[in-house]
Amino acid sequence: MIRYIVKRLVFAIPTLLAVLTLVFVLVRIVPGDPAQTILGDQASQEALQALRQRLGVDKPIFDQYVDFIKGALVGNWGESLVTGRPVLAEVWAVLPYTVDLTVAAILLGALIGIPLGTWSALHRNEAIDYATRVISLLGLSFPAFVSGILLLLAFAIELRWFPVISAGKLDDPVERLRNLTLPAINLGIIMAAYVTRVTRSSMLEVLGEDYIRTARAKGVPDRAVIWRHSLRNALIPVVTVVGLYLGILIGNSVLTEIVFNRPGLGKLIVGALNQRDYTMLQGLMVVYAFLIVAVNLITDLTYGFIDPRVKHG
Amino acid sequence: MATAFKVEPAEPVLSVQGLTTSFRVSGDWHAAVRDVSFDLAHNETLALVGESGCGKSMTALSIMGLVPKPAGRITAGRIMFEGSDLVSLDREAMRRIRGNRISMIFQEPMTSLNPVLTVGFQVAEALRYHRAMGGAEADRAALDLLEQVKIPSAARRFKDYPHQFSGGMRQRVMIAIALACRPQVLLADEPTTALDVTIQAEVLALLAELKQAYGMSMVFITHNLGVVAAIADRVAVMYAGEIVEVAAVRELFRRPRHPYTELLLRSIPRVDRHVSHLETIEGQVPSIAAMPAGCRFAPRCPLREARCDAPPPLAGAAHHVVRCWVRSEGGGHG
Ligand SMILES: Nc1ncnc2c1ncn2[C@@H]1O[C@H](COP(=O)(O)OP(=O)(O)OP(=O)(O)O)[C@@H](O)[C@H]1O
Ligand SMILES: [Mg+2]
Repeated sequence: MIRYIVKRLVFAIPTLLAVLTLVFVLVRIVPGDPAQTILGDQASQEALQALRQRLGVDKPIFDQYVDFIKGALVGNWGESLVTGRPVLAEVWAVLPYTVDLTVAAILLGALIGIPLGTWSALHRNEAIDYATRVISLLGLSFPAFVSGILLLLAFAIELRWFPVISAGKLDDPVERLRNLTLPAINLGIIMAAYVTRVTRSSMLEVLGEDYIRTARAKGVPDRAVIWRHSLRNALIPVVTVVGLYLGILIGNSVLTEIVFNRPGLGKLIVGALNQRDYTMLQGLMVVYAFLIVAVNLITDLTYGFIDPRVKHG
Repeated sequence: MATAFKVEPAEPVLSVQGLTTSFRVSGDWHAAVRDVSFDLAHNETLALVGESGCGKSMTALSIMGLVPKPAGRITAGRIMFEGSDLVSLDREAMRRIRGNRISMIFQEPMTSLNPVLTVGFQVAEALRYHRAMGGAEADRAALDLLEQVKIPSAARRFKDYPHQFSGGMRQRVMIAIALACRPQVLLADEPTTALDVTIQAEVLALLAELKQAYGMSMVFITHNLGVVAAIADRVAVMYAGEIVEVAAVRELFRRPRHPYTELLLRSIPRVDRHVSHLETIEGQVPSIAAMPAGCRFAPRCPLREARCDAPPPLAGAAHHVVRCWVRSEGGGHG
């Protein structure tokens, strides 16, 4: 296992470099002079030149590339044009909110989706199964901002169990949890719907496998056939879907963050877009590059834990 | 309906009587196994032979209580074993017999082991459930079994996963699993078909050896009559879900009566080529939804007569029965 982990870590390095290069290319591909774009048509030549220098775009392209990669790797992601604070500091300030929300949504999704999907598969084509399939489809197609507002109306405004504005302090664990609950449920519903559907179909496939027949032929009780022999195999595709969805989730949480007035990476991006904060956007793309590589790494390591064929392959 | 054929005077270990297993095909139930009866004597090997799709596996799965639900179910018959009728046993009672008193080995060694569990664990599991052994004790017994089925350096490979084993080695592991609780009856469903010819011979020899050592009875399913000659005491030939002929192995090879058996014997693969399909008999087995009303083999039969439009009974002297109007009349061989 250790060897597998080390191997995955080493393989993550070229992936990271590739994604960072892609970010660099994407940013340079945008037509026009970034300084001009930021300052507008009326800007003086001196101001433009000063900004170009600050952005580093006056240097030869290769030097820019080397600076960019070096900077990205050591956490030197530039400064916000708007606040003047380093991108790293801005990201660091909101990252706990995003991590809390993402982890909570995935946990909720797994805790609800895996048992529900399994249950549904075991009662294939019975009322339970149809109900689960319809509900999970609803969960997927329901817009996040509508469900968010409904949650707010019911549990924050009407019942007053949770705060309307979830931007509270992080150092009080109770408050942190109270702030997290509604947004996490809002995102968790979607996650749970995904996981339910994938678990159901992959469980159905596994239940038809020859090795399940072998387990039954051995006299393994139903409960162990399901939990020990089937579920672990059925989880392999679930991990793939959760991994893929994780990337989307981090970006898509912006609606939830806005509805619940909660800081996070999504809101940071929208803010930077609105304010044409060019360096902030570039920095955030770097952050996403790291996140994508990290998610891939976690997905691969999870495969390693579930499926022995991956480790030895 | 139920017609049992007592060949051995002693009490049979397993007695299948009038077994009919049906599948639902587009709304209607059709028999994939129809009125199958046979007895299995102590330490006897009965070969069940026939073309692909004739119901061999379904017969074995019916005995195991593993007919795929909800598409299929046993619709008639009794399966008598150790004083009870397996067809009417409840789930839990049947589970306690499976892998314990009656075991089954399958055709596909590559897919029949769980890819995420170690080989050692999968062997030990049967012992944990049926013998209530603890972890260490079950592991020790499982290791012993892996050595008995001749897995090289079994101790070192105990914690390996199935994908680290070859097909032949995996089938040995399957045998170890099946034999873990020293069953009375072993159902071997084409256990060597998927293996190379040389490995096939090794696995067959191992099965024969262990059957003797354990004093088991065995139902050996195959469509390879060459294998039958090597391993079986008695042969039941199946066609389109029915048993069409039963006789001792020598008797059957020397004096086949059913025209289908004759054709089968003519298509025996020679040792120098590996034939897994019997291509020499013209026509196809009818599908279970389109069975002829009379003799099921009639459409392909060279001896077909007018009376074959009525279903023939399984008839003849006890040591050699045949389901054929043309061949059963006066058909004794002294
Ligand atoms: N799930 C199913 N639904 C409908 N019919 C089925 C199903 N499973 C099996 N059958 C029918 O049962 C018949 C017997 O199948 P079985 O697997 O017992 O054949 P077999 O003699 O073992 O063949 P093979 O040599 O290919 O293993 C087949 O003809 C098939 O039509
Ligand atoms: Mg079969």
